[in-house]
Amino acid sequence: MAPVDDIAKLILRVALRDRAAFDALYTATSAKLFGVCLRVLRDRGEAEEALQDVFVRVWTKADSFAVSALSPLSWLVAIARNRSIDRLRQRRPTTSIDAAADIATNEPDPERRAELSSEGARIDECMDELEPARAAAVRAAYVDGASYAELAARHGVPLNTMRTWLRRSLMKLKECLER
Amino acid sequence: MSDPRGHEREPEGDELLAAEYVLGVLDPAMRPEIAARIDRDRAFAALVEAWTARLSPLDAAYEAELPPTSVKAALDRRLFATAPGKPSLWSSLAFWRSLSAAAVAVAAFVVVAPLLSPAPPADRLVASLAADGSEIRYVVVYDPAEGDVSLNHLAGDRAEGRDFELWVIEAGKAPVSAGIIAVGGTIHIVLPPELAARIAAGAVLAISMEPKGGSPTGAPTGPVVAAGDLRSI
Repeated sequence: MAPVDDIAKLILRVALRDRAAFDALYTATSAKLFGVCLRVLRDRGEAEEALQDVFVRVWTKADSFAVSALSPLSWLVAIARNRSIDRLRQRRPTTSIDAAADIATNEPDPERRAELSSEGARIDECMDELEPARAAAVRAAYVDGASYAELAARHGVPLNTMRTWLRRSLMKLKECLER
Repeated sequence: MSDPRGHEREPEGDELLAAEYVLGVLDPAMRPEIAARIDRDRAFAALVEAWTARLSPLDAAYEAELPPTSVKAALDRRLFATAPGKPSLWSSLAFWRSLSAAAVAVAAFVVVAPLLSPAPPADRLVASLAADGSEIRYVVVYDPAEGDVSLNHLAGDRAEGRDFELWVIEAGKAPVSAGIIAVGGTIHIVLPPELAARIAAGAVLAISMEPKGGSPTGAPTGPVVAAGDLRSI
């Protein structure tokens, strides 16, 4: 993938309605963003539609990147996650509950995860301070788009308990990351 | 705004709301409302952005996978399709069929070539100008070599009998007018060297709504309708 600075410049040029920059940005980032859509939606057809939505938003909202402090890739992945999660939640709830069992097996093993996220070492340390089940729930919510209801079913706890788990875990993570 | 789950009763209500939105676990019915709030409430948007940055190392779990080429084609149709009418030469099947394989290779090169052309000069600065509670949006490109400010009007109109005025604001100093922004899609204002020096020192640009003909006092008198930092492009 193109260096981060190049992607930032491409996004800023897209804000100026530069079609060539848009094409180059698509070439540089569509595989990563398609990976996001696929992981959350677990359906190729839906992921393809979501990916289109993502780049429509990038084309129309690229100017907002100029006032964002996010890294360009974080900004793009956030758009892809939000779009995919919106689509996921629009499905009938029964399908997503059924799919909850599948997600559990999709978790990368710890070694693979370490390999994937050398940059994320700090957040991994902070995740390790959480109880393992709660850390797993945070990851499944973020990476796979699992809902409170799915996580509650998977961990065999009431929905309100899961909500409390995750809220406390988020605040602990924040406190740890700011330490 | 009522929230059935009691975010407002907790001291860290907005903080949690932003965190749960970014994590993706918020009640689906609330997500559109939150997305709209991000657009109009800058303080809340900053919370969301901080949580996005905080959790983004988890993005490493996403493995890249090439989408089929049909996705880009459909995307281009969605964004750039011209109004239905006579088919262009490019979309004419007969035209493509008439080409030999060699000619196709040449045509493919012609289509790809613009991607390989050099980017615009890399010393320009760009800012997106927007403000809370304002529809006014401009994208500004500043060319330090020429002192040229190019203002691309994206959205929002000036009120009847009012003008937009551009200001250069350096931290700790009074705003200095860079002139009235004429009506139009793309407007150029050339900055005098004194103002260009302020930009070089990190000044921001802002647009205020003023009486016709500009501020009578030399300082902004109307509401700031858009402002933003310049970033290098």
